Amino acid sequence: MSLDAPQISSASSSLKIMLVDDQPARAAILEQALTDAGCTVVARLSSAQGLMKRVEEHQPDAIIIDIESPDRDMLEHMSVLNQHNPKPVIMFSDEDDSSTIEKAIRAGVSAYIVDGLNPKRVKSIMDVAVARFREFQALRGELEKTKNQLADRKLLDEAKSLLMKHKNLNEEEAYHAMRKMAMDRGQRMVDVAKNIISVMNLFND
Amino acid sequence: MTKNNVATSGLEQPNLKIGYMPLSDSLPLLVADEMGFFAREGLSVELQQEVSWANIRDKVLVGHLDAAQMLAPMLLATHLGIGGLRKPMQTAFAMGLNGNAFTISNNLAAELAATDIHDISGNAKQALDALKTVISQRKTENKPTLIFAIVFPFSIHNFLLRDWLASAGINPDSDVQLVVLPPSQMVDHLALQHIDGFFAGAPWNTVAIQRGVGECLVSGPDLWSNAPDKVLGTTQQWANDNPNTLNSMIRALYQACAWADANRDDAAKLLAKHIHLPVDAVQPALSGKFVYRKRQPATQVDDMLVFNRYHANYPWPEHGQWFLSQMQRWGWAADNLDNDAIVNECYATATYRAALADQALPPTSHQLRFDIQQAWELDDTAMGATGFKYR
Repeated sequence: MSLDAPQISSASSSLKIMLVDDQPARAAILEQALTDAGCTVVARLSSAQGLMKRVEEHQPDAIIIDIESPDRDMLEHMSVLNQHNPKPVIMFSDEDDSSTIEKAIRAGVSAYIVDGLNPKRVKSIMDVAVARFREFQALRGELEKTKNQLADRKLLDEAKSLLMKHKNLNEEEAYHAMRKMAMDRGQRMVDVAKNIISVMNLFND
Repeated sequence: MTKNNVATSGLEQPNLKIGYMPLSDSLPLLVADEMGFFAREGLSVELQQEVSWANIRDKVLVGHLDAAQMLAPMLLATHLGIGGLRKPMQTAFAMGLNGNAFTISNNLAAELAATDIHDISGNAKQALDALKTVISQRKTENKPTLIFAIVFPFSIHNFLLRDWLASAGINPDSDVQLVVLPPSQMVDHLALQHIDGFFAGAPWNTVAIQRGVGECLVSGPDLWSNAPDKVLGTTQQWANDNPNTLNSMIRALYQACAWADANRDDAAKLLAKHIHLPVDAVQPALSGKFVYRKRQPATQVDDMLVFNRYHANYPWPEHGQWFLSQMQRWGWAADNLDNDAIVNECYATATYRAALADQALPPTSHQLRFDIQQAWELDDTAMGATGFKYR
């Protein structure tokens, strides 16, 4: 799924972007979005290993990096060592634009941009990155939720089976018994299930 | 007027977010939190552990953090807009002195040992002679330049290492290569021989030494006794908007620093818990029984980490002057700055004095005298790039 992104680059001036991200799925999403917007992702690194060489090699216009990466300080150093190296994006924010940086920090994105890049293009890059990081965060949240639901489901099924086997109940009866227990005790179904499993296993050992 | 009345009335921001890095010298913040010094001043503080200095800087700038443990030179660089966004910054409290050391790989240690120079461990001059010899040797043998890691470009680590090397005519930009690495990665890279040494803060030197992947060549105090490092940093805006809160923070941290100096064993346990390292790893620097090389007896370095004594918490303008001069020396800051005005702005000595009026304060006329290599005195030496020469 790709949102409509404004064209950041034209064929004649495609921005070169480097990604440093230890989450390959997120980097892939971001790379696609940037490519859709007309940028060229020249490299995707999962760590800062060999970062300096790759920057020298590709001369990216922008480097996008996860804010929680300890390798940010290495990029800071690079920007100080050489005027031409990309600089921390926070430098390019002004009063009108402070929300872009704040949004970026909240979404977990950080970036380093070469001097002289059009502020509009900088903002566009940041907007794409922020949108993709947020999307990834939401997807991860959903995945966590689904995993938990699946795990809960397994426990419910196990508890039901135990009740059916040892208490001679059919499935519907077992389910209702658990539901009643949950309501009477003010517990979640999954916690009732866990209790049943541990007691039943003890009982039947 | 009871302390509580003073504390709880007039606090603009009783709920604070303060950032720090997982280093031994973040102890004042950890202690102020856990031992109730913040609470006693009416402050409810959420400490946020960060993974990079850049994060700390950016989060303070946009207001996600109210204040943070900062490398003093990073605060100055931010104030001047060097390498990042320019924003007026301020510190009214230094978090301590020392804490750093230069740890080298086993390979480099062997190369140094192979020179004719003796007694190099812990000896600034001998170690430097040996290093210079090895560097020349490697040049003639066409071996790659030595690589040393530091934590951040604007740091005591970078400046002190450069100053020490340059004093023997070693050019830190061409005779060696200086790279920035996060401290936790330094130990791994040393083990893998990707770097030949690192200059970093406790407890990482001990971690490397205990793992047997390196040894301490010289400690920070071997180079400069009572060197400055971290400060409590805020934007000037924040400080102006929250004077009572800042006042309470200073008082809480001062008590915490005094406690840390007086309770080293308990401090070690507290620290280990928060930075997720064994107590053994943080003990040496805190206790002053510092082991330079694995299986060797400890050397007594009483002031390896100083939190409160020697007026360590006073934001000495002379320290600020030195940092600025080094930034000018290496070409990161312009020569024609009004250094006095900048330091006056950033080192808020009056705020410190007001907050701690009931404590022992350094006399106003007192000028700090350094002890760095050949001791030189600020009154006599011209600051700025011209004051330093190296071949």
